[in-house]
Amino acid sequence: MTAERDVEREVEVEYTRLRIPFGPIHPALKEPVLLRVSVRGEEVVDVDMALGHVHRGIELLAEGRNLIQTLYLIERICGICSHSHTTCFIQALEEIGGITPSKRALYLRTLIFEMERIHSHLLLLGVIAYEIGFDTLFMFTWHVREKILDLFEKITGNRIHHAMNTIGGVRWDLTPRMVEEIDAYMREVEKSVKYIHNVFMDGTVEKRVCGLGVLSYDDAVKLCVVGPTARGSGVDIDVRRDHPYAAYDELKRDFSVVVERGCDVYARTEVRILEIFESINIIRAILDRLPDGPIRPKENVFRLMRGIPEGEAISLVEAPRGELLYFVKTDGSGGLKRLKVRTPTFSNLIGLKPMLIGCEIADVPVIVASIDPCLSCTNRLIVIDQERGESNVIDVDSLRHRVRRRWMRQ
Amino acid sequence: MDAAVAFITSFPLVLVVSLLFEGIDRKIHARMQKRIGPPIIQPFYDLIKLFNKERIIPVTASTRVFEIMPMIAAAASILGASILLSNTLSGLGMIGDLILVMYLLAMSSIALMVGGLASGNPYAAIGFSRKMSMMIAYEIPMFIAIISVAFGPPAVLTIDRVIKFQISTRLPLAVSSLSMASAAATLLLCIPAAASVVPFDIPEAKTEIIYGFLIEYGGPYLALAKIAKAVSNFTLTLLVSVVFLYIPSLLGEEALINLGISLSICLAVSLLIMFATITVPRTIFARLKIGQAFKFYWMLPLALSILSIILSVIGL
Amino acid sequence: MVICMFRLSCKSMMFRVISKGRVKSPWIFHLNTGSCNGCDIEIVAAFAPRYDLERFGCLLVGSPRHADVLLVTGPVTRQMLPRLIRVYEQIPEPKVVVAVGTCASSGSPFLGSEMVEGPVDRIIPVDVYVIGCPPRPEAIVKGVVTAVKSKFR
Ligand code: SF4
Repeated sequence: MTAERDVEREVEVEYTRLRIPFGPIHPALKEPVLLRVSVRGEEVVDVDMALGHVHRGIELLAEGRNLIQTLYLIERICGICSHSHTTCFIQALEEIGGITPSKRALYLRTLIFEMERIHSHLLLLGVIAYEIGFDTLFMFTWHVREKILDLFEKITGNRIHHAMNTIGGVRWDLTPRMVEEIDAYMREVEKSVKYIHNVFMDGTVEKRVCGLGVLSYDDAVKLCVVGPTARGSGVDIDVRRDHPYAAYDELKRDFSVVVERGCDVYARTEVRILEIFESINIIRAILDRLPDGPIRPKENVFRLMRGIPEGEAISLVEAPRGELLYFVKTDGSGGLKRLKVRTPTFSNLIGLKPMLIGCEIADVPVIVASIDPCLSCTNRLIVIDQERGESNVIDVDSLRHRVRRRWMRQ
Repeated sequence: MDAAVAFITSFPLVLVVSLLFEGIDRKIHARMQKRIGPPIIQPFYDLIKLFNKERIIPVTASTRVFEIMPMIAAAASILGASILLSNTLSGLGMIGDLILVMYLLAMSSIALMVGGLASGNPYAAIGFSRKMSMMIAYEIPMFIAIISVAFGPPAVLTIDRVIKFQISTRLPLAVSSLSMASAAATLLLCIPAAASVVPFDIPEAKTEIIYGFLIEYGGPYLALAKIAKAVSNFTLTLLVSVVFLYIPSLLGEEALINLGISLSICLAVSLLIMFATITVPRTIFARLKIGQAFKFYWMLPLALSILSIILSVIGL
Repeated sequence: MVICMFRLSCKSMMFRVISKGRVKSPWIFHLNTGSCNGCDIEIVAAFAPRYDLERFGCLLVGSPRHADVLLVTGPVTRQMLPRLIRVYEQIPEPKVVVAVGTCASSGSPFLGSEMVEGPVDRIIPVDVYVIGCPPRPEAIVKGVVTAVKSKFR
């Protein structure tokens, strides 16, 4: 919602077109993004995006801190997929330092990873239900999600920021009782998710979201969208299978990549629901075959940190929203020279424009939600130039410059 | 009871009862979602708070219209409700017939719309246009259904005559004939849209256009708007329960003597109607799009209402 | 004398009724000023069935015009600063501000960043701080209730 003064400035009525600012403060968008939607009647004819409202300069901050501090800082990039961020970062560090975590540590990392995927997908399903005005379903999915959060709390002591990873391993171990407990919880969650699936297949939801926000296969490939957004358009990519990391190499046979060819909001939603079942399968396999052994190296983390030489590495993980990429360049004395994060939402946001054009105003929030935008991740160093239809990542200095300039103007 | 006294006492009664109804609706809604929910008298708290908040009038608004419209809305709906209630309360012929009540209800929502539009917010403008098309969708079947009462067996439009007719036949109107049954069904189908709850809360969709025309209203104005909405919801349910489902008529002449009993039966029936037409849909459905809602209303309720008027002209 | 007393008691009654109404129906507007989403989802979780803030009469409203309580999450970023001020001004009096999360309360761990304008209380007056990263929904519930009780009574 914008203030009346703002509205005065931003709404220009050109003939029959009305420009409506969606966000940055809008109840449907939980996060700040400014979509300038031009409409004719109820139909959307053009979209313009303005990002950067939650730009916090994390990459710059990371350069001034040591690796352990950075680990906790980048966990705060996003509250929904915090574990993906740390895993990705730690993997890069381990590659540079030549540290191999134990099998058990890798399995535990994967376990948290999949639980996080379930929690994130459930969250999104709730948000989609909320956008289409289905409050009860929203309440129900969030109720189920609480169970996963309980598990997180039992394992790591935290609901959101788990702080599970450390250099060379993980920080918390599972006891046999916990294993049983997780199994029992998974059974409950599976039952509830089946119910949610039924409701989503139901007429009222289907009527609302079928055929909405179409992103064709070609567009999806061309715009390089990732994760469930791509899989909903029939693009068969998944980092877990294509470039296995952590324990996914050994779990390859326990899950399949869900691909839907519907290309619309419904397909993307369904991909997410089915992925929850796959995640539950993975978790069961992990619990079955959890190897014994230490969960982290005996040495102190600070010694490990100082032992990491100068070097650079790229690491990839499949975060709940898609492929997450980290480029890490260390300086050899426990600090960072450069950190670059390419989050899935950054790739996916570009796909929003073909989805939105031609839809009704009523559908804008649903479509935006369907790519599961996690803008806290995205708003670091991005400028999207919609006019020229290109997006470019600009470096810190020029960004700082731009921000300052805009600031001055305001 | 004296007609004038009944009319005057029904003002506070309408307010209290309709707010209580809203509270009950919220509580049941929460219960159906596995929540505890707010206390039943929550709407009263809300109103007390809202009336004591700062008044803010946006700079883009045309002040007079913006200020006055919520008052008109609240006044119109309270008037409509008390006409209905006092007729039930006194059992005497008083002012007002069904058309007047319908008109007052429509006026209350139009007043809110205009007031919202006067705020100059683009979301309010969208809400206005959506509400406009929704009103065309549901008002027409509703009016036709009411008019078919005049053509049907009662052949009157004043409320007390309709009540007396039901008492004389010792049957609620809706079960007395086929035409009236379909008229009642039309009205029931139109209530969710008139009350603008999910799945038909398109003009006020929170996640799409942030309450539409209510967006800039705050403090006392919002309180008035809330009163207008709560009271008109109550009026709609009471309308159906008095005109079409007047259960006390089963008692025969008793109903006119023990007015207290018949009134409480009427209120209970309208509570049930509210549960069925407002609470349940808003719990189990997702919001429709404007085109879908329009199609729905022009398919089913319009057909039903036309059927009812044809049947009542034939005399079924 | 008697009339005077009567008047006084009437007045105090009125005040009590009004403050009761205010305490019992705090409507919440939530503003994300650059948080990591952790706090935001915990706020929404506080409205979900397990914690159900609505039982205290709270509602999550979408327009600052309707709100009484402003929940701010996140360190205030430069782009959100003017919007934070504007939203604060749009909320009609009386209002309370609750800073949810360590970010909003003290700015850490983003303190020292170029783009962060420091914690919320440097910009608008804050009534209650809810510490935690993210705070549990119970803590948020408690924070809201305390803020409302201390300010509106
Ligand atoms: S306090 Fe923690 S959880 Fe909350 S916004 Fe800040 S980093 Fe995220």
